[in-house]
Amino acid sequence: MSLQRLILNLHRFWADQGCYLAPTYDVEVGAGTMTPDTFFRVLGPRPWRTAYVQPARRPTDGRYGENPNRVQKHHQYQVIIKPSPADIQNVYIESLRACGIDLRDHDLRFDEDDWESPTIGAWGVGWQVMLDGLEVSQFTYFQQAGGLEVSPIPVEITYGLERLEMFIEGKDDIYDLQWSDDVTYRDLRLDEERQFSEYNFNRATIKSLRDQFALAEKEAQMLIDKRLPLPAYDQCLKCSHCFNLLDARGAISVTERVKLIAQIRTLVAQVARVFTAPEPGTEGAA
Amino acid sequence: MEFLLEINVEEMPLAHVRSALTDMSERIRKELLAARIAVEGWRSFSTTRRLILTADLSAGQPDRDELVTGPPKAAAYAADGSPTPAALGFARSKGVDVSELQVVKTEKGEYVGVRKAVKGRRTADVLSKALPVIIASLSFPKPMRWGTGSLRFSRPIRGLLCLLGGEIVPFSLEGLVSGNRTTGHKLHAPEPFEIRSFEDYRGGLAGRHVTIDPEERKASILSQMSALLAPLKAEMYPDSALLDKLANDVESPFVVMGSFPEAFLDLPLEVLSTAMREGQKLFSVVKGGKQLPLFLGVADVTADARGFIRAGHERVLKARLADARFFWEQDLKTGFQKCAPRLKQVLFQEKLGSYDDKARRLEKLTAYLCGKVESCRKAPELKQAASLCKVDLVTDMVREFPALQGTMGGLYAKTEGLSQPVARAIAEHYLPAGADDPSPSSIEGAILSLADKIDSIVGVVGVGVQTSGSSDPFGLRRNAQGVCKIILDKKISLPFTRLLEKSISFYGDKLKLPKAEILDRLREFFAGRLRYLLEKEGIRYDLIHAALGAGLDDPYYAALRARALDTLKDGPQFEPLILMAKRVNNILAGQNPPSVNPAHFVEKAERELYSTSGIILENVSPMIAKGDFVQAQKVVFRLQPVLNVFFEKVMVMAEETKLRKNRLALLAAIRKTMLRIADYAQVVVEGEKGNRSA
Repeated sequence: MSLQRLILNLHRFWADQGCYLAPTYDVEVGAGTMTPDTFFRVLGPRPWRTAYVQPARRPTDGRYGENPNRVQKHHQYQVIIKPSPADIQNVYIESLRACGIDLRDHDLRFDEDDWESPTIGAWGVGWQVMLDGLEVSQFTYFQQAGGLEVSPIPVEITYGLERLEMFIEGKDDIYDLQWSDDVTYRDLRLDEERQFSEYNFNRATIKSLRDQFALAEKEAQMLIDKRLPLPAYDQCLKCSHCFNLLDARGAISVTERVKLIAQIRTLVAQVARVFTAPEPGTEGAA
Repeated sequence: MEFLLEINVEEMPLAHVRSALTDMSERIRKELLAARIAVEGWRSFSTTRRLILTADLSAGQPDRDELVTGPPKAAAYAADGSPTPAALGFARSKGVDVSELQVVKTEKGEYVGVRKAVKGRRTADVLSKALPVIIASLSFPKPMRWGTGSLRFSRPIRGLLCLLGGEIVPFSLEGLVSGNRTTGHKLHAPEPFEIRSFEDYRGGLAGRHVTIDPEERKASILSQMSALLAPLKAEMYPDSALLDKLANDVESPFVVMGSFPEAFLDLPLEVLSTAMREGQKLFSVVKGGKQLPLFLGVADVTADARGFIRAGHERVLKARLADARFFWEQDLKTGFQKCAPRLKQVLFQEKLGSYDDKARRLEKLTAYLCGKVESCRKAPELKQAASLCKVDLVTDMVREFPALQGTMGGLYAKTEGLSQPVARAIAEHYLPAGADDPSPSSIEGAILSLADKIDSIVGVVGVGVQTSGSSDPFGLRRNAQGVCKIILDKKISLPFTRLLEKSISFYGDKLKLPKAEILDRLREFFAGRLRYLLEKEGIRYDLIHAALGAGLDDPYYAALRARALDTLKDGPQFEPLILMAKRVNNILAGQNPPSVNPAHFVEKAERELYSTSGIILENVSPMIAKGDFVQAQKVVFRLQPVLNVFFEKVMVMAEETKLRKNRLALLAAIRKTMLRIADYAQVVVEGEKGNRSA
């Protein structure tokens, strides 16, 4: 087994479920949920099925490559199906079998864990899926996004790829994972984790991050005013990533944290409104 | 006929399962009762995926005769006794022959009428109609929608099984149709199978790895644990909330035991058990009060033949403990007291400033409390604890495990050599966290907890946050209940209003509302919590009202008054005194007499009442002062016979104003004494109704 085999298995499985396999998005995000393929597609009435791999950047989780579990960039396998099908739990269970996990010998549990992302004004109800005590997925029925009630209800399944692969390979250290048959996670990622940890925690220029935040915020507002929600949303994502970096640099006080998150949320809510109520002649939800 | 309902739902939280079963049982039974259907042997069962109800119901409503009246007799029959067109028309409209009409006597005179047998509705029909409505209207703390539907429920409903006497009770809900099939364990027996009866259902599921009775699952977990621990002579560290959760979460409980490297045993026990409980829902194992490097987990399987489940938990736990150790060492390196200035950066509440501001207020408020509470003799320690109690909020450990707030502060204080009272007060100052949680064990911890909670409540109420409604966003209700519980548990008698005023003053100009309004809101708020706690002690509602009606300025004394009434309520002297007190109350209604002048007494009975009540007043005052309300109450009982004689012999409402006013004044003085013990007028007695109408 290898991580790339796992990705291929999931791709095949969800493609057979009628999912569109989206390319990885090219703006930094903290979670697969934040990419446009989830954020915009859960809004509005149009049915949608998509699956994709998304690197998730969480600068504060960096450990200079020295922690066997935590990394400042991990990979999520994200599935969105709207409306949520009646047998989706069983389909999910089948997907684990398709990854080669023999569930007869394991304890699979759906453990209460409601999900919320204040930054993008989204929340949902669901579970963390535990396999022998290890959280391998997040399973959520979206209820709100961009501050709007969603209807029909999409289901989101997010696999933590490294976690799942550690489970499959029975390994204790993330860097021991096989990415492919002859390339390990260490080969690919260790230097990156070291360098980015150094950058995130010690080198990122606070002033320049604050400036970038302000510029992106301004740009987003301009684009919202021009009723261009798709590029406006990219600018919101940039704000969010600057915020995460500032946080890792320890530059944000508790009061400011609340304020900055509210600023991003307000922008995202406007994006969602413009997107769902398009003017004639602009592109939006059908 | 046997009734069986199973609602198949994706994994529900325990609290949802409990509330749904209670609400559903109550409402379905009410519906059946209203339809005059007999209900016997009502039982409910559940798993995280099933809500199950069963009972014996009568097959239907009893048939009954219904009398329909028509025209008056005089209009229905001619003088010769032959039916008129009115009678013929009535008979036709009811579908009977005119000869079947009968004469009925009513209040308004004689009418013709007809008796018709009405068939009762079948139980199955009643259920078909009621069940979808009841199920759809169940409420949950955070309900959700799914798919394309609009129904809000705990989690998506995936199946409906409903039988009466083995037959399907047909109804539909959110696109699902009720049937006679269910499925077994999600992984091990997912194929649907047919059910004919409850025994069939229970047995069929048992054979498919589902135990439907939560108590049976709990018992199975406990006995499996005992079997594993007996050879080691060790015990599971009890955690009833976790046990309840796990007994809900699994359909087929299987206990696994695993271990972690002994090296982690140098971490504090609290950290170890939290790391186990919070992330992975594992129980700690202890032997003679010492933690062993073992854990117990509950899986939803029939066996762990290849040891994968144990190994999986071991791997995850090891990584978690490694993390915890990293935080512990990091925090020790940083230094606990050195972190204190960082509280300036941590916001307590938007309009109320930082946790550093709070710490300064707590120093003052605990100093005030320490002066008022006799058993508090460690003022300097308390001050230090107040200034440091929130510092652990900025430690890595508490950021990772928020449940350890307070606990970590205590542990870090100890490692830096602070005295035991300081460490303990810090560790205990969040207690009690819930209604069934213990109060702090030390008086210093109790006072710090009181101060912290009162400061929070005063601040949040003072900036205008409403405390009404079902939501409790700042934990105000929980905090107020904690305050009342500590006061009762620690028997703390203090001038409560004064304490609130002090707390308000320490906020300076930060509070938005005027002081009087804050105090009003707070008094009502605390009275509500106190009433709730006393009701939980099993004290009657009216007795609580009577006790609190005598004043709330000292909540502990108010509680003692309620308990005294409760102790004495069944004695022979109680009811006569209440009735007498009410009589005094009634006669004084609208009166505003001056003070008593002994020179104006003329009758022997009034002089006697005056002197007896004087002696009684003298006797009870010290008892009231030291809170012995049972004794005080007993002494007050002696007023009843004297008052009785007084009312028999003396005409209170005498014509002569001077005499009347003086007699009323005497009664008013007596009422004032009684009011120090209870507002007796609020007590409801059985004899009351009879007396009033007499």
